[in-house]
Amino acid sequence: MLATIVHTDDLVKTVVASVVAGVGLTAVFSVAIWGGARFVDLSRGGRPLAAGAAATVGVLALIATLAAVVVGIAVMTSN
Amino acid sequence: MSSEVILVIVVGTALAFDFTNGFHDTANVVATSISTGAAPPQVAIGMAALLNFIGAFISIEVAATVANDVVDAAVITPTIVFAGLIGAIAWNLITWWFALPSSSSHALIGGVVGSAVAAAGLDAVLAEGLVGKVLIPAVVAPVVAFLVAGLGIGIAYRVTGRQRPGPVTRGFRYGQVVSGGLLALAHGTNDAQKTMGIITLALIANGSLGADADPPFWVIASAATAIALGTYSGGWRIIRTTGSRIIKMDAAQGFSAQGAGSAVILASTHFGFPLSTTHVINGGVMGAGAGKRVSAVRWGVAGNIFVAWLLTLPAAAAIGAVTYGLTRIFGTGALGPVLVTLAALALIVAIFVKRSRQGAPVPAS
Repeated sequence: MLATIVHTDDLVKTVVASVVAGVGLTAVFSVAIWGGARFVDLSRGGRPLAAGAAATVGVLALIATLAAVVVGIAVMTSN
Repeated sequence: MSSEVILVIVVGTALAFDFTNGFHDTANVVATSISTGAAPPQVAIGMAALLNFIGAFISIEVAATVANDVVDAAVITPTIVFAGLIGAIAWNLITWWFALPSSSSHALIGGVVGSAVAAAGLDAVLAEGLVGKVLIPAVVAPVVAFLVAGLGIGIAYRVTGRQRPGPVTRGFRYGQVVSGGLLALAHGTNDAQKTMGIITLALIANGSLGADADPPFWVIASAATAIALGTYSGGWRIIRTTGSRIIKMDAAQGFSAQGAGSAVILASTHFGFPLSTTHVINGGVMGAGAGKRVSAVRWGVAGNIFVAWLLTLPAAAAIGAVTYGLTRIFGTGALGPVLVTLAALALIVAIFVKRSRQGAPVPAS
């Protein structure tokens, strides 16, 4: 009875989606910023290979962030 | 003829409420971006208005909940909806006056529930919908936003903590352009729909739409326009409370708070939960503050906001019930709503004149 009133299934899905999307977005974007900051430092330090690797990680994380935003909007607003 | 007049007044009042909702909630959407310096105020507010407008067209799940799951449409009349709207607008203005970021959404639902109970008794309330789709999510959502933002900022600091602060801050400021936009979009998807739901409920109550009907396009478009205009008009007093009085935020915290708020609101919209976006966003702001340092949150200010949250549903319900009683003094026709509307307009003008004489509030720096 209580489960029916509270719409437990929908509520749990909402909580899980919120945690995954909210924490994931910040985590992935933090990696993008880490990549960018490391790229600048390593480039200045004369380590082009490591700088390139950091930049690649940063760009991939940035793409993942933007993709997560687009996919998140598409999924959460569709029924 | 009389019912058409009341319906026109209800639609006008609902759109006025939608405007005040946007006006009241501008702070929620843009305060973090402004307080961290991620965007100049006018840019942030303009972008928020545009994305609120777009967001209003994305989904109708919340509108369906408000129209069909909170009160019994079979016993609702346009006058009941009108009285509920007046209750919500009055509470919005009271909290705006005292610069408290309370919930426009709970004010709306409280107002309609209060006037419905005054008119038709407790049987008019659909307890399952009210508890399951409004009250429980109202408690859960801000807590989830708090935890998500706290967890997010912890990860962000761990990942970027050893880097030079300059590039990291700049990066998160750029990120806030996206997260702030996402939050504005999410706000439009959830909040504009409540007005759509209320107008749809009035149209069903008037017999202009069938039971369980979706909002017509003109309702969606007008609600989107009203909330966008209200957002653009902005509410500087509340921006100060949300943006700088709860915590002093850095850009990473702003990003985390906005990301958490967006995720919770969009997920809730998907399942048709008419959330308080104010509660969720402030939950995210507090979580981002507590994630860095629990003492960074000014818990006294947070406590005042919490009290406003607790008061919103019963206060709006009481005003809605009293308003319904006032309209009934003049019978069941259009005279009551017309007189109450005129009185409300006069009161609103008086409030704004008094406020403008006291001088414009200072925005957060």
